[in-house]
This record gives sequence, C-alpha cells and structure tokens, in this order.
Amino acid sequence: MSHKGIYSKLITLFSLLLTLLFVYTAVSKLMHLDTFQLRVERMPYIASYATVISWAVPFVELVIAGLLWFARYRTLALYASLVLLGSFTIYISIVLKYSESIPCSCGGVISTLGWTDHILFNITFMFMALLGIICNNKQNIMQSHQNTVQ
Amino acid sequence: MKSNFLKLVLPAFAILLAVGLAFATEDRAVFQDGHYYDTAEQEWRSIPAEGCGETGNTLCKHLGYQLYSMPSFGSTPLRKNVP
Repeated sequence: MSHKGIYSKLITLFSLLLTLLFVYTAVSKLMHLDTFQLRVERMPYIASYATVISWAVPFVELVIAGLLWFARYRTLALYASLVLLGSFTIYISIVLKYSESIPCSCGGVISTLGWTDHILFNITFMFMALLGIICNNKQNIMQSHQNTVQ
Repeated sequence: MKSNFLKLVLPAFAILLAVGLAFATEDRAVFQDGHYYDTAEQEWRSIPAEGCGETGNTLCKHLGYQLYSMPSFGSTPLRKNVP
C-alpha cells in the first residue's frame, strides 16, 4: 500500500471518529437544550454567555462534522476540531484547578466520565485531529508533487 | 465508483450511528430542588440541584451557599459524589 493510500485511509478513519463524536454530542445537547443551558449557567466564568454557548456549541460541532467530508474544507475542519477540543480541555483544567466543582455540560454518556477521564478522552481526540492534519498535509504535498511531475 | 460510494456511505453511516447512539443513550435528567438561604436578599431561594441528594462525598453548594432539601436549615444538607 502506498503512503498516499495509508494517509487517505487514516484521514477517513479520523474524520469518521470525529464525526461520530461531534454529531453524538451535538444531538445529545440539542435533545435537551434547556438542560444544557441550565448546566452552562452554573459553570464558572462562562455563565453570563450561557444562551449563546448553548446554541453555538452544538451548531459548531455539527458544522465541523459536515466540513470533515469535503476535501476542500477538511483541513479547516480538522483545525477547528483541534481548537474546539483544546478549548474544552483547557477550560475544564482551569476550572478544576480554581473552582470547587463544576457540573458537566457534556453530551450523553460522556457526562458519566470522571474529570480526569474526560480530559484524557478530549486529548485522545485532539491527537486524532492533529494526526489528521499531518496526514492531510502530507497527502496534499504528495499530490502537488505528482501534479508537478505530470 | 467505489470511492464515491464510500465517500457518501461512510459519513452517512457515521452520522446515522451517532444520532442513533444519542437517542439510545438519552438520559432525561430529573432535578431535585435545592434550597439555599441568600444572605444578601435575606430569603430562601430554590434551584434545580442536579446530581445532588442526601448522600455523597461532597456538599452541594450554589454561589457558596449550602443547598438543602427544604427551605429550612433543619432539613437535610444536599450532597453529591465527586469522583
């Protein structure tokens, strides 16, 4: 199998997993939007923006999940995944360090994870997004070399 | 042909699977009311006290105020389990 074939398969795999994560959490949040908003209102530092956040987060997650499947926007979507997951992880880490406790505004079964597990979970998907970016860039470089040779 | 098929089927499958999982793992939260005495306003207030009950390893608080099961200091202080 050529490197290009491996990169393509890895990108597809990471895109599948990220799509699964974002669609799952977005749909879980949208199914109980009032509950999600209530939880965000009880979170430190961001409670004032609860209404905006409760709509924006699932919307952004769904947009990213969609963009992952268009070659033209895939790199953007992978970077957005990395930034979004990184923001969640940093926020959780800050609040855990400086606050007593926070309710989990996560979607679905992810809310049953402990905070350490949740951070590890986020870091795993951030790593996948990062690998996806690297593979995508390598694939683009190989493609441009091929086009140049031809 | 196969490539186009996979490009359509795989994301559609992932989306359907995710939506199905979201509905399958749906857990309608039931909030117990928690009551706290707002010293600034000199009155009892109530909020949905998610995850709080009569047992747990951590006291349930809101804005620094202890939550109780009833609007009374004689009622049970609410607690929760923090991993």
